[in-house]
Amino acid sequence: MRIDYKLQDKFDLGIFIPCLLLFGIGLAAIYSSTVHHPTASGNFDRQLIWGIAAFIVFFVTYSIPISSFRVMAIPLYLLSLGLLMAVLVMGRQISGAKSWLDLGSVGFQPSEMAKIGTILVVASFLSRSNTNIESFKDIVITLIIGLVPVGLILLEPDMGTALVFIGIIITMIFWKGISLFGLFIVLSPGFVAISSLFGVYYFVASLVIISVALFVFKKDIFFSGSIFALNLGAGFFADYVYNVLSPHQQNRIKSFIDPMADPLGAGYNAIQARVAIGSGGFWGKGFLAGNQTQLQFIPEQWTDFIYCVIGEELGFIGSFITLILFLVLFLKILKVASSSKDEFLSLVSVGILAVYFVHLMVNIGMTVGIMPVIGIPLPFVSYGGSSLMVNMFMLGIVANVYRTRKNYT
Amino acid sequence: MRTSGFGSIQRKSIIFFIIAGSFALLAFRLFQMQIINHEEYDEKSASNSIKAIEQTPLRGVFLDRNGEVIVSNIPAYTLRIIPADYDRKLNRILENVLDVDSGYINRILYNNKIYSKYIPVRIKRGIDFKTVSWLEENSEFLPGVDYIVEMQRGYPDGIMGSHMFGYTKEISPEQLQKENEYYEPGDYVGNNGIEKAYEKYLRGEKGYNYILVDSRRKEIGRFKNGDADLASVKGNDLVLGIDADVQRAGEEAFKGYRGAFVAIEPKTGEVLGLGSFPDYDLNAFSYVTSREFLNKLYSDEDKPLFNRATMSMKPPGSTFKIMEAVAALNLGVINTSYTYYCGGGFTYGRFFKCDGVHGSMNVIHAIEKSCNTFFYNLIYKIGIDNWHNYALKFGFAQKTGIDIGEESKGFIPSAKYYEKIYGPNWPRSIMASLGIGQGEVSITPVQLAKYVSLIANDGVTYTPHIVKGYLDNKTKDFIPFKFEKIDIGVDKKVFDIVKEGMFLVVNGSGTAGRIRSKDIQIAGKTGTAQNPHGKDHALFIGFAPFDNPQIAVAVVVENVGFGATYAAPIAKKLIEAYLLKDKTKKDEQNKYEQKLHQNIIGASLAN
Repeated sequence: MRIDYKLQDKFDLGIFIPCLLLFGIGLAAIYSSTVHHPTASGNFDRQLIWGIAAFIVFFVTYSIPISSFRVMAIPLYLLSLGLLMAVLVMGRQISGAKSWLDLGSVGFQPSEMAKIGTILVVASFLSRSNTNIESFKDIVITLIIGLVPVGLILLEPDMGTALVFIGIIITMIFWKGISLFGLFIVLSPGFVAISSLFGVYYFVASLVIISVALFVFKKDIFFSGSIFALNLGAGFFADYVYNVLSPHQQNRIKSFIDPMADPLGAGYNAIQARVAIGSGGFWGKGFLAGNQTQLQFIPEQWTDFIYCVIGEELGFIGSFITLILFLVLFLKILKVASSSKDEFLSLVSVGILAVYFVHLMVNIGMTVGIMPVIGIPLPFVSYGGSSLMVNMFMLGIVANVYRTRKNYT
Repeated sequence: MRTSGFGSIQRKSIIFFIIAGSFALLAFRLFQMQIINHEEYDEKSASNSIKAIEQTPLRGVFLDRNGEVIVSNIPAYTLRIIPADYDRKLNRILENVLDVDSGYINRILYNNKIYSKYIPVRIKRGIDFKTVSWLEENSEFLPGVDYIVEMQRGYPDGIMGSHMFGYTKEISPEQLQKENEYYEPGDYVGNNGIEKAYEKYLRGEKGYNYILVDSRRKEIGRFKNGDADLASVKGNDLVLGIDADVQRAGEEAFKGYRGAFVAIEPKTGEVLGLGSFPDYDLNAFSYVTSREFLNKLYSDEDKPLFNRATMSMKPPGSTFKIMEAVAALNLGVINTSYTYYCGGGFTYGRFFKCDGVHGSMNVIHAIEKSCNTFFYNLIYKIGIDNWHNYALKFGFAQKTGIDIGEESKGFIPSAKYYEKIYGPNWPRSIMASLGIGQGEVSITPVQLAKYVSLIANDGVTYTPHIVKGYLDNKTKDFIPFKFEKIDIGVDKKVFDIVKEGMFLVVNGSGTAGRIRSKDIQIAGKTGTAQNPHGKDHALFIGFAPFDNPQIAVAVVVENVGFGATYAAPIAKKLIEAYLLKDKTKKDEQNKYEQKLHQNIIGASLAN
């Protein structure tokens, strides 16, 4: 009992075990969806090898001095910005987006690395003793740090990952202690931008809502006017970005609004995903017995649509347990973030939580039809080396923060 | 503890609630999809990946009473388009090759828009071999265009049988709605005639091959290795009472005429032959029926689509005199020693003309000579009520119940009818013309044939029917259909008397002497139905051989004149075709061999 207590004191099993189980569930689902596949049948082995490497990364990250993260923040951020630019020039295009960089025989997504870099730099900026989150200047600096990678990623274009970055920044600013009005200023352009995508009426309606909110906050006319202008600009900018988006991504946005409009086109995956999950029922169709999965109704199911495999073959039980594992993990990370006495590490932890959370919501949300089909992987579960490595690295940071939570006063 | 700023309890709580709320939403959504709406998704999933390929069963064929195949299945090529792969730029060239009007393909594709674009659409059935070769040669330039071999109706015997056999047609949306358990869009069903009446026997049982398809609808294997497949079961072959030779003889004899014939075996009620003319080529309905063809049929003033054998109503003319004689004899109003004098006409209120001056004669000779005077008088002796009752006994003014399609009732006036029109003191002089089968009396050819069957077989027969039964497709046993026996309860002696008269019509100095035959003793009665719109209709009823009737015929030729001249010779041909088989068979030998050859080809392709 003594030993166990000591272990738990240094190593949070509440973090490690859910992650291990999720990786196991993912492996099983990858096996099921690729075993009869003509070209992807090696994915199980590859994921297993990646997994071993990723767990090594986890333990290394867990063990290194906690100060290393502050040190690596800026170099990592700048390196990832460099790679993000490189990928635009010499990247490999997969399903419409240039997001892969080839390093020898191994494909690698710089945007994954950029997540860590951005979290660390934003955390380190926000945790400076003279940073005032209520000052316009500091908010803008924070947003610039966060939005430079977002801009580069949107150029790939990879909407899903860009969304993750936005989630990170908002969460971290919020955690830092921004006021309600400050949050409003940060969030309102996004709200207007998204509304503008639905059409002119929604755009105008969102502007009206912003105006009412500005009136309620009772700031001076000039300031309110600037905010309104900012929002107006955001709406037009979003429209511009939408037009810059590749047609397949535009279609995905459209098909979210009405998937049946083009059941064999962009809405196809959304429909098939729902059919797969719904047909799983309570107990599921059994491992390797899901016909949606085995007949490859959803392309590349082992990546972004992995949750369908779980839903179809393991049923409500399997998909619910998967959710619970994520919930346990998230609450553990939240606890680590709030119990850490170091502001930087606390912000890093909450940023990492944001990464996982946005991934989970967008990924599972799209498979159950409450989110548009935006391709981002399910952390620890989906097939993919660089995403698994980065996720385990980030979890290693959280575990390290837990390990060292008492070192700071 | 921090309260409102960095990492405060409130901020932690907000994040906690966002996480908890999101998870609750996802969990609810899973519950909704996987437990509440599970069935719906399950169904979709099953139909998604396991595709049932319908195997259209072969339709049962028609055999005549001697086992000859008169309606068969023949292989034919059908051009199809898979809309998903097809390029509409090809419309023009395809329409040229298929020889159809421009816009034809778009029209068909439009009509099939409600089905998945991966389901092939039949564009034209029965394309010729030249077109098939062209398709083969150019297949690489014709994406989404293919052809399949399908079975269609063939008529190997050269028998038209247009109205009797009927044709099959793509099922209508209305019928589909009513009978959606068996049928699916695009199925062919019997539209009229035997094809419609015996649809349930003919259609067989659909088979299904279950295949697994992937997301691109590509076949990737058999479901359960084909163990779950259901083989289609061929429809039952129908055995008809029709005699191919009689039918063929009737169709040839009627070339150039309008009218109808019905031949029945009196003892059984089996229809030996039935035709309505002008007829039309059923082959034209096997394929996609062209618009011009249909329009021509509809607009033709000879109404070729109208089944005269069961639908046309005409006065029976003198053929009705037999009925009247039977009534009078059976009622005891007259006997053979009763005579009446014909001085060229009859007076009842006014003068009614006879065709000649026949002098004094009994009922037998009155039939032989078709003396109007005798029968003008006779109807007054028996009265309109008896006349009406006996007409009904013989099945007039009611449907015969023949086993195909629509049928008219005809009309026999009664005292009640005249009272309604003219009041209780209706002019009795009307009855005179009824006595010779003119006026308001109207009958159909099939009623006439049933009538003559009853006479030939002494008042007993069965409901006229074309189909005798079917060959069970599993046991190969012949299963007869049951038909109602009709017995009008008239003394055989009465029939002996009238039949003697009918014998003399042909073999004495009667009206149909020209069809006397040294091989067969034919008995009959001519009739001429007055037609206010043009030339009279020629009628003849007859049976043979006289002492053991095996065939009873009714022939109606429209707008030609006297029954003896036009209708009787046709009746003779029908009778000879049936009774002098061996003689005619030899002439047909060559034709038969050719036909046999065709059947063998059809059978081997069908398997």
